Amino acid sequence: MEDVVNDYISREIVQDPALLPLANETSLLDGGILDSLSLVRLVVFLEERFQVTVGEADLLPENFDTVNAICSYLRARDQERREAAHG
Amino acid sequence: MGDSHAERLLRSVEGVAYWGAVAPVIACLPGAPGYRLACRRGDWNFRYRPAKRAELMRNLRQLLGDELSPDDALRLARDWFRFASCEAVDVMRLRYRARPLLRLVEIRGREHLDAALAGGKGAILCSAHFGSFDCAFSLLGASGFPVTTIGRWQHNYTAGLSPAERRFWDWVYARRLRRHRHRPNIEPWAGRFGVAAQAAAILRANEVITIAIDAPPLDSDLGRTVRAPFLGHRARLLPGAVTLAQVTGAPLLMGFMYRAPDYRHQVLEISAPVPMGGDTATAFARCAAEVAAAIRRSPAHWVYWPSSADLARIGLIPPEGSGPAAADPDRRAETDGGFLHDASADVPARG
Repeated sequence: MEDVVNDYISREIVQDPALLPLANETSLLDGGILDSLSLVRLVVFLEERFQVTVGEADLLPENFDTVNAICSYLRARDQERREAAHG
Repeated sequence: MGDSHAERLLRSVEGVAYWGAVAPVIACLPGAPGYRLACRRGDWNFRYRPAKRAELMRNLRQLLGDELSPDDALRLARDWFRFASCEAVDVMRLRYRARPLLRLVEIRGREHLDAALAGGKGAILCSAHFGSFDCAFSLLGASGFPVTTIGRWQHNYTAGLSPAERRFWDWVYARRLRRHRHRPNIEPWAGRFGVAAQAAAILRANEVITIAIDAPPLDSDLGRTVRAPFLGHRARLLPGAVTLAQVTGAPLLMGFMYRAPDYRHQVLEISAPVPMGGDTATAFARCAAEVAAAIRRSPAHWVYWPSSADLARIGLIPPEGSGPAAADPDRRAETDGGFLHDASADVPARG
């Protein structure tokens, strides 16, 4: 999952080649990689690729600050979905 | 520009009196005498604000020079001041579910917005700081469309306003517009994370996002601007609305509200969706062309004419000869289509 997310961000969102290769723990916000519009692009990608719905309430910096944080968030959402499916 | 402290104070008092006391009263009159009185006030401002009038006419002739005779420029400047005063009446007529204003406004192209929403991806309605654009957004809300605007309430950001003044402008202006909006404005400001995502969520709920796309970019946003042909120049504008449309698949329409020669009737024209093909800059250029066409069709509607600093920031005139807009009580309290602006606002002023 980390590779998929990292690859997408590196290809589609990072504007400055000097920031590549992107480490999974690099801050996307402090580094100016992720702005408001690129966040939308990323969310659309994550929803399509991982079959999740990212709610407005989840649009927090801590969920999207690094590739690792994004993957943790996705895993947590997946876990919630499984638990809901099993009642 | 060049005004003394006493003149600014007088202007401030006059503006507060007009918006706070006079406009609410004349908005209760039948349309014809109400808007006639508003035009009188506009004429008064046209006459007694020579610096602003001169700046407005200079910029008009600089950008539309070949198309304008001196008489045309004079007439447009007078109309600009009249429109500013009429806008206050428009805002006051948003009372009672906006029926008093709806009676005077014909909405053309409503079917385009209906068709766009039928697609289920929401719709983005782009306009400019043009005419009573804020009232137009609220009118659509009052007409049954779930409208949310991306834009800041300028009185919350303008330097030099006291808390009492901010409350006054909120009470007299923003409150009346807000009443017809489906959700509070999405206000981009420093450090705000998720503005576009919030807009995307609204589109996903199949609602309407409205935005004015001609706002001057702030320094912090210059890196995100695109150059688009605009009024014979290559303007520097923020293409956020187009990016949002491309990412979410929401149709993007253009809408402009024109005031009729009798000053009280208006027509809100909504276009069919603008093609979003090509890269962001290419698609945005189509939107900028629509804005420029609206301005050329009726120049007096455009708010930015007397604001050289804003025009320079957009890249339409050289950056000299004007400072930032002075604190002016008679102003557009909500502007900004800059979308993703992330710093304090500069205030385009009217009237």
